[in-house]
Amino acid sequence: MKRRNRLLTMGLCAALATTTLAGCGGSAGGGGGDNAGGNGGGGGDAGGKLTVAIWDNGQQPGLQEILNDFTAATGIETQLQVIEWNSYWTLLEAGASGGDMPDVFWMHSNEAVRYMSNGILLDITDKVNASETLELDKFPEDLKNMYTYDGKIYALPKDMDTVAIWYNKDMFDEAGIPYPDGSWTWDDFYDIAKQLTKEDGSQFGFCANPSNEQDTWMNTVYTLGGCVLNEEGKSGFDDPKTVAAMEFIDKLVKETMPPASTMSETGTDVLFGSGKVAMISQGSWMVAAFKDNEYIAQHADVARLPKDPETGRSISLYNGLGWSASAGTKNPDGAYQLIEWFASKDMQQKQAELGVTMAAYEGVSDKWVDNTDLFNLQPYLDAMDDVVFRPATKSTLAWWNPMVEELKKPWNGEEDMATACANITQIMNEKIAEEN
Amino acid sequence: MEQRAKITAAVIHLILILVSITMLVPFLWMALTAFKSMTEATSVNPFVIFPSVWRTENFTTVINNMDFPILYLNTLLLIAGRVIAAVLTATLAGYAFARLEFRGKNIMFSLILFQMMVPGQIYIIPQYLMVSKMGQLNTIFALVFPGLVTAFGTFLLRQAYMGLPRDLEEAARLDGCNIGQTFLWIMAPLTQSSMVALGIFTAVFAYKDLMWPLICNRDVMPLSAALAKMQGQYTNNYPQLMAASLLACIPMIVLYLIFQKQFVEGIATSGGKL
Amino acid sequence: MSNIKKGTSRERNEFMWGWLFILPTMIGLIVLNIIPIFQTIWQSFFKTGDFGKGNIFIGAENYIRLLGDAEVWQSVLNTFKYAIVEVPFSIALSLVLAVLLNRKMKGVSTYRTIFFLPMVAAPAAVAMVWRWLFNTEFGLLNHVFHSNIQWISDPKIAVFSIAVIGIWSIIGYNMVLFLAGLQEIPRDYYEAADIDGANGIEQFFNITVPLLSPTIFFVSITRIIGGLQVFDLIFMVMDKNNPALYKTQSIVYLFYQNSFVENNKGYGSTIVVLLIAIIMVITVFQMIAQKKWVYYN
Repeated sequence: MKRRNRLLTMGLCAALATTTLAGCGGSAGGGGGDNAGGNGGGGGDAGGKLTVAIWDNGQQPGLQEILNDFTAATGIETQLQVIEWNSYWTLLEAGASGGDMPDVFWMHSNEAVRYMSNGILLDITDKVNASETLELDKFPEDLKNMYTYDGKIYALPKDMDTVAIWYNKDMFDEAGIPYPDGSWTWDDFYDIAKQLTKEDGSQFGFCANPSNEQDTWMNTVYTLGGCVLNEEGKSGFDDPKTVAAMEFIDKLVKETMPPASTMSETGTDVLFGSGKVAMISQGSWMVAAFKDNEYIAQHADVARLPKDPETGRSISLYNGLGWSASAGTKNPDGAYQLIEWFASKDMQQKQAELGVTMAAYEGVSDKWVDNTDLFNLQPYLDAMDDVVFRPATKSTLAWWNPMVEELKKPWNGEEDMATACANITQIMNEKIAEEN
Repeated sequence: MEQRAKITAAVIHLILILVSITMLVPFLWMALTAFKSMTEATSVNPFVIFPSVWRTENFTTVINNMDFPILYLNTLLLIAGRVIAAVLTATLAGYAFARLEFRGKNIMFSLILFQMMVPGQIYIIPQYLMVSKMGQLNTIFALVFPGLVTAFGTFLLRQAYMGLPRDLEEAARLDGCNIGQTFLWIMAPLTQSSMVALGIFTAVFAYKDLMWPLICNRDVMPLSAALAKMQGQYTNNYPQLMAASLLACIPMIVLYLIFQKQFVEGIATSGGKL
Repeated sequence: MSNIKKGTSRERNEFMWGWLFILPTMIGLIVLNIIPIFQTIWQSFFKTGDFGKGNIFIGAENYIRLLGDAEVWQSVLNTFKYAIVEVPFSIALSLVLAVLLNRKMKGVSTYRTIFFLPMVAAPAAVAMVWRWLFNTEFGLLNHVFHSNIQWISDPKIAVFSIAVIGIWSIIGYNMVLFLAGLQEIPRDYYEAADIDGANGIEQFFNITVPLLSPTIFFVSITRIIGGLQVFDLIFMVMDKNNPALYKTQSIVYLFYQNSFVENNKGYGSTIVVLLIAIIMVITVFQMIAQKKWVYYN
């Protein structure tokens, strides 16, 4: 024991001696590091391979298949990397501030304008215009506009998501309520949610957190004639119809939902998946996760969002990601080829077929509906008939988070909804004014 | 006397066992979750404590999804690089700050403390840009880079040297050793335990650092960063996350078991030497 | 300059060796950390543009906003509450544990490994497990104690619940440092005390604490700094819908929100400067106070 110890000490001292004697100018650590770098031999693949970055692990297998087809067709090698959401944006931020970016990557409507207006993304306008295969008219107008800035195109639509209501069939059966067929109004919805809420707190009709914006309350706002951003690009929270819609939501929160603390601690999808609530409103991006949940697979189904009693319209928000490339990519032609590949009809269809997501390309998403027989996904597709694009400005996140933060107050009963709407109007308009 | 010693030992064990239970409950929960299905893991009504079937799929999925030999190699290089660099530089600087008098010492030591006061998040982008300018992105060097020196370790070793008796050093100098020799042959060996502690911390923090590896090196990932990919944006597969997390703990525990022998042996050998 | 006489050879010698020894660390530190820190301080006087381009100098405007920002001062209070619970409890507990474990005894190695475990667990997994344990309706804690406490969503107690997770996570860290420090205390002191008939508790206060004081000092400095920089736990345990978030979010949490989520790096930097100022005052105070209680040979 003792000898081993001495050996260790001597080894350490020898190492120290080397640095003490040769140790000018911080090269000690640096030298070691350099060697390691040499041994690692990384970074050699910048040559032909296109690096592709996404944030959703669930989509990796499907997208990998599409990438394999691409390599087979063009001979261009790709490498798909999945980076968790928070790190993804830090990575792009760092890359955009003067570093190295992936060649091809996802863009989100929250961030798109910031990236486009700073010349971070590859301008693909000429290539798009010269393309013979691309069918740009098959993609939704708003989605294309989202990824266009100053008349230049920076990304092509990847997918589309809409919102629908998930309901627990057993709870409807128990209460003797027929399953919703999509003909209901928000008033009907309220009545049903109320009936499904049990006095003893063991079951609630509905649940939603303030941060479930795109998937819950924003749809109600637009359906009932309100808006989040008005036509002038300012806050729509001073519109009486928006306020009325939010007060309707407030009524749902108070009369049909679990306490706000429970919803925030446990999460709405978990509450639904454990049979605590009868209905939730969710985006099509959750379908993959719900397929894996045995309880939901067994007990739940999907219905279209309720309508406005007067206009008869049922509006769903939608959003879609874009495939974009880095302005600094070493292989702009290859990168564009890949983006175009993803936007081709065949690949859009394949994406839907594999159940990755609904396609942005018109008319191929019925394949997505067919990818599972556990649920009827048709309502998501029907929702596409009347959609509003997820509100966005140049710096969306600057007002989006304070908006959610403010809504927590009425949710927790600390403030009435009208006051919250007035405060949100003020915050949003301030932040939007700062953008320019 | 014998009796009393036995009672003392029993009380000590009792305390330690109680604390151990508190420390272990979250881990037991992790382990139980790792064997559950997603439904069981998120079921709250009824509350599921034990999985109905002990599933190993979560572990096999994680293992199959990862290229373990390469991940282990990268992790090992990352840890080795940072531990060697940090222990070397911190031992040297720690000794100088503790025992040598020279102009500029106090200002330099303030910088050491100053560095520790700043939250680490601010370094990510500037350090990334440095590595990028050096053209070293996607190398092992990039992984090691931010850990080449350590203010924390320098401070730790300084404290260790300050606790040592001065007469040892005086004796060595009277014997004609110069400062370098005194440090190397007399003082450095006495702070072995602190070096080991620093080594353990450097290894653990290098291992747990997720943001940096994800950003600076997307090709050559260490294990922990590869595991972090398991979290998607919208879905958290809790059982798989737990399985991955448990698997990720194992190498660090093995490392700790190897290193902590140093502490025990320290007790056996340091007695009577002074 | 003029007052440097030739200097004894010993002074010159120490000067040379001293700088030689600290040079690697200092060069690395200045390049890797000090320069970015000053860039951050500099940024706090700007309205920052996207991706580090187009910054506009606005003088003290960010600081004026900071002074009137109730959210920031609430976060300062939250951070203090967290640190006041986490730091003393984790230090006291791990000091006792380290002393108990610093002996030849059956199972020592097992105990040490158990206490070390939280250090190596993935932060995301830790956060998830504790969220379940703390869950008001379905959590193990309320289940076992038959209580109905909103551990992490009651604004009055959430920050302390987070501190409990903090203590749990950090005990292993403190313990390793204390064990290392205990190793460096010469055995003879205890042998002498045994002969004098001092009992364990007397030995603890008369030998262990004074001789370990450099390590205790180190642990308190680093833990207070660490406690004031708390971020990960809050970020992962507190959902953004959580009603207690406002009374729980820490200074670094706000900095992260501003700099990385809302892309306002200028104001985010201002918050960092405030944090540095707070930590600096506390650390300087500790450096002065150490002369009263830390025992160096």
